[in-house]
Amino acid sequence: MYNAISIEDFGTPVVLLANPGFVKDAHSAASSKGMPGIRVLPLNVACESTVAAEIEAGTTAAMPGIVEALTKPLTEEEKNPKPAAAEPRRIAFKGDYEDVNRFFYRNGWTDGLPIFPPTEEAVKEMMTGTDLPPDHVVAKVIPRLGKATVEKIAINAVMAGALPTHMPVLIAAVQALMDQRSRFDTFEVSTGSWAPFFAINGPIRNDIRVNYSSGALSPGDIANAAIGRAVGLIVKNIGGARKGIEDMGVIGNPSKYSLVIGESEEESPWEPLHVERGFAKEENTVTLFFPNSFVQSVPRETSAEGIAKSLAAMGPWNMSCLIVIPSHAKVLSDAGWTKKKLRDFVLQNAPNPFPSNQDTSQILSQPPAADSDGLMILVAGGPGAWMAMLRSVGGIENGFITKKIELPRNWDKLVAKYRNVVPVYRGY
Amino acid sequence: MSVVRLSLGAAILAILAIQLPCTETFAQNPEPQYEVLSPWAEVDPVPVRGISSRIQSLAGRKIGLFVNYKRAATPIAAALEKKLKSMYPDAEISSFYSLEWNVTEVETSDRDRFTAWAKGVDAVIMSVGD
Repeated sequence: MYNAISIEDFGTPVVLLANPGFVKDAHSAASSKGMPGIRVLPLNVACESTVAAEIEAGTTAAMPGIVEALTKPLTEEEKNPKPAAAEPRRIAFKGDYEDVNRFFYRNGWTDGLPIFPPTEEAVKEMMTGTDLPPDHVVAKVIPRLGKATVEKIAINAVMAGALPTHMPVLIAAVQALMDQRSRFDTFEVSTGSWAPFFAINGPIRNDIRVNYSSGALSPGDIANAAIGRAVGLIVKNIGGARKGIEDMGVIGNPSKYSLVIGESEEESPWEPLHVERGFAKEENTVTLFFPNSFVQSVPRETSAEGIAKSLAAMGPWNMSCLIVIPSHAKVLSDAGWTKKKLRDFVLQNAPNPFPSNQDTSQILSQPPAADSDGLMILVAGGPGAWMAMLRSVGGIENGFITKKIELPRNWDKLVAKYRNVVPVYRGY
Repeated sequence: MSVVRLSLGAAILAILAIQLPCTETFAQNPEPQYEVLSPWAEVDPVPVRGISSRIQSLAGRKIGLFVNYKRAATPIAAALEKKLKSMYPDAEISSFYSLEWNVTEVETSDRDRFTAWAKGVDAVIMSVGD
C-alpha cells in the first residue's frame, strides 16, 4: 500500500488488488498515511495462490472493476477526504474496574485479558523505573509510527501488570523492535504470526526474577509474563497493529501473549548469549527475534553426540533458537563441545525442511541455516531431558537484535521495594 | 383524616429509620472509580490528501503493473497482462517488480528507477498476492 501511495503522490492513478480478507488492512494502511481514498479492489484469488486456473478466473472476473477503478471520475470525498477522527484524550475514561476493562476492550486496547487500570498514580509509579522523562520518545512504532513515549510505555506496562522494575527492559525491548535489522516491519504484520521473543541476560534477571529455570516459558512469573504482555500491548496501542486489520497473522500465535526467558548463566558451562554478542558479562541485555514455531523434543541418547543429533533433528533453519537445558549443556561441554562446535554440527546435520522436488526459488524455501549468525544457542530450563527450538526465517537482511538495558539511578532501591513480589506456593 | 396523616407519617419515619443505616453502609463501600489514561499513542500529523485524477480509458495508454514479492503476485500480473492485451491491443504494459520483502521503493536505492517508472505510466494496477 505504501508503494501505491507513492505512485498516487506522483500523480499516477492506482488500483490495488487485494484478497477480500486484506481489504480492511489496505484501507487502514492508506488512511494512516493520509490517503484514505486509494481505490482497493477485492480480488477473489486465494492468498499466495499457485493455481493458474484460479488466478485466471479471479483476474478475469476483476477486469470490469479494474477498469472502473482507473477510469471512473473521483467523488468529492476522494478529491478532498476528511481528516481522520480525533485521537482519544489523555484521560480516556473514568469508571469502576469492570467498566474500565469493558471500555478498554471495546476500544481494542487489550489482549482479551483483564487489565490493571492505568491511573495517573500507577503510571507515575511505573515511570520510577527509568530516569528518562515522561515525554521522551523512545521510538516511533510502526505501522502507524505511534510515539512510544516513556509515559505511553508505562501506561501499557501498568495495563499488563508489569512492575516498575520491568520498565528498563521494556524500553530496551522497544528499541530492539524498532532496530531496522529486526525487520519488525515485516514480522509485526505478517501472515506468519511471528511473535517477539526476548532473551534476557545479565544481573537484572535475578534482580527482577526473570525465570530461566523450570517452566521458564510457562505462565507464572510476573517478569516473564508481564514484560511480554506489555510489549504486545505496546505493539497494538502504540504501533497500531491490531489482528485482522494490520496484524494479518493467519492462524495467530499464543506466544504473542508473551515469549520472554532468561538465560541460565550460572548453570551454563559456556559464555552467555550477550557476551557472545559483544557485551560484558555484568551488562544487562535483551535479545530479540521473531519465531512462529516452538518445538520440544527429547534426545534418544543422552551422550553429547546424541544430544547434538537431537538438537539438529528438530530442524532449525536460518534464524532459530535452540534452548539447551543446563544438564545437556554440561554433558556437551564435558565432552569438549563448545557452542561453536555445537552450532556447526547442527548446521551441517539439520534436515532440509523442504523436499528436494519443491521449488526452492522462493524466499520461504530457505535451505537449513547456512549462516551460524542465524542460530542462537540459549541455556535455560529446569531438570529433565527436554530441549526446545524456536524457528523464524532469515534471508531478509534480518538478524538477532541485542540491546543494552539501562538502569535508573535508584535501581537498587527499586529492586528492594519490589523484591518480595514473588509467589509462595502452598503445600498440599 | 388526621389519624391517616399520623399513620402515614409514622410509616415514612419507620421506612427512613430502616433505610438510613443501609444507605450509610453503601456510602462507605462504593465501587472504586478509576480515572485512567489512554494507552493509544499520538502520531505526528499526516497531511490528508486526495487521490489522482483517473484516465478516460485504458485504450492506447501505458499501463503499469506493480508486482510484489508474494508468490501469487507474479502469476496474477501475468494474467492481468494477458487480459489487458486482449481488451486493449493498443495499450502498452510496463511492469515493475518489487521483490524484496516489505519495502517502500522510494526509501530504497531503487528510488529513482521506481519514480521514473511510476511517472512514466498512465495508470498502475498493483498485484500484491494477498
